[in-house]
Amino acid sequence: MTAVQFAFLAGLTVVSAAIVAFTALVLLSARRIDGGPHLLAVLRARLGRSPYDLAEGNRWAFYVHRITGFAVFAFLALHLLDVGLYALSPALFDEVHALYSTPLMRVFECGLLFALLFHALNGLRLLVIDLADVGARAAGRLLDGVGVLTFAGTAAGSAVILWPVFAP
Amino acid sequence: MPDQDTARVRTARSGTYLTIRATGVLLAVLALGHFGVTHIVNDVAATDSSFVARRWSSALWVVWDALLLAMALLHVGAAMGAVVRDHCPGRGARRAVLAGMRVLIAALFVLGALTLVVAAG
Repeated sequence: MTAVQFAFLAGLTVVSAAIVAFTALVLLSARRIDGGPHLLAVLRARLGRSPYDLAEGNRWAFYVHRITGFAVFAFLALHLLDVGLYALSPALFDEVHALYSTPLMRVFECGLLFALLFHALNGLRLLVIDLADVGARAAGRLLDGVGVLTFAGTAAGSAVILWPVFAP
Repeated sequence: MPDQDTARVRTARSGTYLTIRATGVLLAVLALGHFGVTHIVNDVAATDSSFVARRWSSALWVVWDALLLAMALLHVGAAMGAVVRDHCPGRGARRAVLAGMRVLIAALFVLGALTLVVAAG
């Protein structure tokens, strides 16, 4: 492993740790922000509960939106650094870029696709809710649609991204 | 308490939300398009320096990436206020985190813009 590759992996570790730490921060401060029982206690109590409460769905969408937004920004910061290497020296860029096609990075890229899809689709949902002034029921239906599209898009995209790992 | 906000704060906040929404709609196309081209249409293993050189010889992709950079950082800059208000207790800590974020965003913009100018200009 070369020095820039080591630096990139160290950066990726920092980005991953920042995403985990931010997720913990959001979950821990959730109770202070919007009151009610602790989010993780809610998760325990609500798992397997049916039919699910629409307001609860919107609440989870809020937190997932925030965490995926932070995750994409954290990766963007690292990504601007590695693409910056291209201006410095294309050979140096290629050294780091070789890491992007490793199995571990491909799994990370599938996570990135999930974050981008959910954040984009849920953001457009919020826009529709505001512009069309739809009620809570329709907002819940839209969230179901966001969930289905995110899941389908992530599954299909992940199959394409991970294909070379299983069929080289 | 929203009803205790001054008119000036309300105006600033509505400008902030408009910025988040306007840049967000553009980013839905710019960011997903960027990911699609670099991971779905092309395998990521093929997007090496020769791919970047070919891509940035086209004005379309230089403009695309420049817009993506500017919109993403504007989006973060507008959205971070609400995030820091929620998760960062204490006025001093909030001010410090926001100041740090502004420096980080400015540095990232300079880095990205310099990369585009040096490599594609």
